[in-house]
Amino acid sequence: MKQFFLRISENEIYQRLFKNPFTYVGGAVMLAMLNTLTLAFTGNGWGVTGAFGYWGAWTLKLVGIDVSTWASFASESAQKTLAGGFLADGVSVRNLGIILGALLATLLASQFKFKKIKSVRQVVAAVIGGLLMGYGARLAGGCNVGALFSATASLSVSGWVFAACLLVGGYIGSKLLVKFFM
Amino acid sequence: MKEYRLDCLGEACPIPLIKAEKKMETMAVSDVLIVMIDHSCAMKNVPEWARKQGHNVDIEEVGDGEWEVIIEKVK
Repeated sequence: MKQFFLRISENEIYQRLFKNPFTYVGGAVMLAMLNTLTLAFTGNGWGVTGAFGYWGAWTLKLVGIDVSTWASFASESAQKTLAGGFLADGVSVRNLGIILGALLATLLASQFKFKKIKSVRQVVAAVIGGLLMGYGARLAGGCNVGALFSATASLSVSGWVFAACLLVGGYIGSKLLVKFFM
Repeated sequence: MKEYRLDCLGEACPIPLIKAEKKMETMAVSDVLIVMIDHSCAMKNVPEWARKQGHNVDIEEVGDGEWEVIIEKVK
């Protein structure tokens, strides 16, 4: 058995498909094709963070807080998604698929690892960063996937505005990173 | 020839790369730096940067999701 896995790990096709990272161009082509399929079959480009708003709403509902009257969920489609629940929301299910797919990919490459947390500072930065990204994505009406990748692919100017702001944020973020983590 | 080890386990991009860049500046030619990483994107950008600088680079997978990038300073 061990011999069998050792042989697979040295197989060139295994290495190219599962072990080594794809090239940037290879990844870009696959993303473009998958996003085209997504647009063709669902009528919407690929988006991720919109669903997180619903995840938050459903979680709050579990503890008795009703946010369905909030302005951000006022639209008819948002009301429908809120009422339909997790499994009826394609974006939510796709997000779950991305998480499970990432797990599967790292397992196939034999690179799964529980990483140790280095410092309290790392935790604080991760929590603050996560909150800022989540809040920003809701204000901007999308993240770097929905508001940038899908938007520019659909020839929307908003995607380029998002890109310019993203560069500014990235610049400030990298300065902060060097200041607090080096 | 001296050998240095840089523990970047648990550090996410781009910290391993910046740390490696800074450490390399302080080293003499023919010194060797071993960057320990467990972040797969650092396994791509650290060697990429070092090769662009013209250094000799070797990557060793030391465990599941754990690598050592070995950089020999050549100039």
